[in-house]
Amino acid sequence: MASIPLEHPAQGKPARIKPGLVAWFGLIGLCLVIGLAAAYDVFSKGLTVTAMSDAVPWGLWITIDLSAIALGAGAFTLSAVVYLFGLKRFQSIIRLAVYVGFIGYSAALLTLVMDIGRPDRFWHPWVYWNVHSVLWEITWCITIYLTIMAFEFMPVLADAKFFRRWPWFGKLAHSLHTLAPALALLGLAISLLHQSSLGATYGIVKARPIWFKPSMPIMFILSAVAVGPAVTMAIAFVIEWITGKATIAHEVLRAIARFSGIALLAYGYIKIWDFAALTYYGQSPAVVKALSFLDQQTPYNFTFWIVEVLGGIIIPAIFFLSNRFNKNPALLVLGTGMAVIGIIMNRWNVTVSGLFVRVAFSPGTQFTLQPVSYFPNLPEWGIAIGILGYAMLMLTVGVIFLPLFPKEPENS
Amino acid sequence: MSKKTTKVHVELTRRDVLTVAVAAAGSAIIAPLITSGPFSPFGGLKQEQLTGAKPQATKHPTGEYHWGMVINLDTCIGCEYCLRACSATNDVATDRPWNIVVADKTSSGQPFFFSRPCLHCQNAPCVEVCPVRATYHREDGLVVMDYDRCIGCRYCEVACPYDARKFNWAQRYDTNPYIPTYGIPEVPRRPRGVVEKCTFCIQRIDAALERGQKPGIDREATPACVNICPVGARTFGNLNDPNSQVSQMIANNSTIQLRSELGTEASVYYIPPKEGL
Repeated sequence: MASIPLEHPAQGKPARIKPGLVAWFGLIGLCLVIGLAAAYDVFSKGLTVTAMSDAVPWGLWITIDLSAIALGAGAFTLSAVVYLFGLKRFQSIIRLAVYVGFIGYSAALLTLVMDIGRPDRFWHPWVYWNVHSVLWEITWCITIYLTIMAFEFMPVLADAKFFRRWPWFGKLAHSLHTLAPALALLGLAISLLHQSSLGATYGIVKARPIWFKPSMPIMFILSAVAVGPAVTMAIAFVIEWITGKATIAHEVLRAIARFSGIALLAYGYIKIWDFAALTYYGQSPAVVKALSFLDQQTPYNFTFWIVEVLGGIIIPAIFFLSNRFNKNPALLVLGTGMAVIGIIMNRWNVTVSGLFVRVAFSPGTQFTLQPVSYFPNLPEWGIAIGILGYAMLMLTVGVIFLPLFPKEPENS
Repeated sequence: MSKKTTKVHVELTRRDVLTVAVAAAGSAIIAPLITSGPFSPFGGLKQEQLTGAKPQATKHPTGEYHWGMVINLDTCIGCEYCLRACSATNDVATDRPWNIVVADKTSSGQPFFFSRPCLHCQNAPCVEVCPVRATYHREDGLVVMDYDRCIGCRYCEVACPYDARKFNWAQRYDTNPYIPTYGIPEVPRRPRGVVEKCTFCIQRIDAALERGQKPGIDREATPACVNICPVGARTFGNLNDPNSQVSQMIANNSTIQLRSELGTEASVYYIPPKEGL
């Protein structure tokens, strides 16, 4: 890495290799090595090396999939804001938003390939259709949306110095630019479909008491729309701190924070009603049993109220919406970090907590399947670290080599 | 590209709010029009075609047969022979059996034994969720798997209300202790990375029908778990034939289906213990 002269295409000046950058690439390399070692372990021995079992067949990796896709939701939200609602002032963040979305979705696909038992058959959903399956629809949507994002991002690649050696590519990419509104519309439709279907994946499972409810898809899409744009905003701030260059006008980023704050409140509102419906007027004996089991055996209550609601919704919403706090970028980034943790916790609580509650089907009253425990083991964490390394690598390479920001620093 | 600084105002103006509000309201009006209103492609369908679950449930066994089972919980002695014969005949891993047998108690405290194969639901959650149609309904109502198509996503395991599915976490090298005492394997072991399940021994049913034998009556045509039961707690046969033994047992006894409130329409019926459940 050190021998390649790093250039910032927007500035045209070669960036100096600083020890900090070398250390950063060292860290990314370490993450990737850990990830590859874990991947080798999983591919050679099978999923038996993970802590998952027939009782808890979905675990940390599904949580990562769901979180990465939700955190990549900034791409479709901001594209719709600019190209469909015509709020052109947000144009400057589109490139970054689409890039972050692309990283999130590709990270999710990478994790999925690790998670399925037969990675060699990953292409089956495209050939053998089951149109009744939510998972089939999600697979299709994610692949189509990844393609849309690639198209949306092509003009940016064409602007990069590396691709200027092929003029036809630039022409093609820029002709795609005129398609941007159509791509944004398609992206919005596809994203609304699959972001909510990810919730429906759980919501349709009538066998599981705390999953089976119509609010799942709504909560999934609202939380994604709330946190996705905030992630893009926070990344823009962090890039600005690290590179020391003004990237996107702070006013734009603040407006995004306010939007996220409002969306978080909407999500919180639905979540409270859902809680009321589940525990009060819509309760069933199975739900009561399931929730009391979760309270006794897992930190479900703490993670739900403190991490998801207080830390993931209320505090970030205050940081994003109050004029006292949202002028301070550090608080906006901190708020985003807390909201991200809240989302990841939420996806974990949905996936793994729902599976902890064992199905009971015996006609008698005594027998239920033994409660099981699950905590991700080393290979699973290894893959998680590898995926994190992939995301950091993509982001770093993008910041160094791609014109992700408008050429004019708007913030002077 | 001039060097002048651009001043940017980013406040949500009234106009922006109105734009978004009008767009949202417009979508809300258009959506019902194109989905269920006069412009809808589904407009010609009748209501019962649109709300599918019930009509679909009766549709499944389209053929002459609908294989089903009656399990008598009153006679079951909990010997686990069904589990062992199944394990030997289908070469199932003994720690992840297709058939389970567990000790249970009725609400009055009376002990009984509960056993469970796959229930072959006519409205099977596992069939609905499979993204590649690796799990499907046969014409005779059986829910079976194409092990060459399964991608191992385990959604069916998550969706099954009866815990009837098992995943092959690793390549199997174990020796099955129930072979040959309880039976000889009739199907190959499933590969690593696919989900597997009970088939009601389709290998026997299909071959026997070609020979003109009757499943449920001829032993070669009947699932291993039914044949081996020393007390005859399990009965197998054609639910479509009102004169078959299973149909007669369902007609003459009070039977239950597991978690029938979910609308799964299981093909396995249980006769509860005499004391009641």
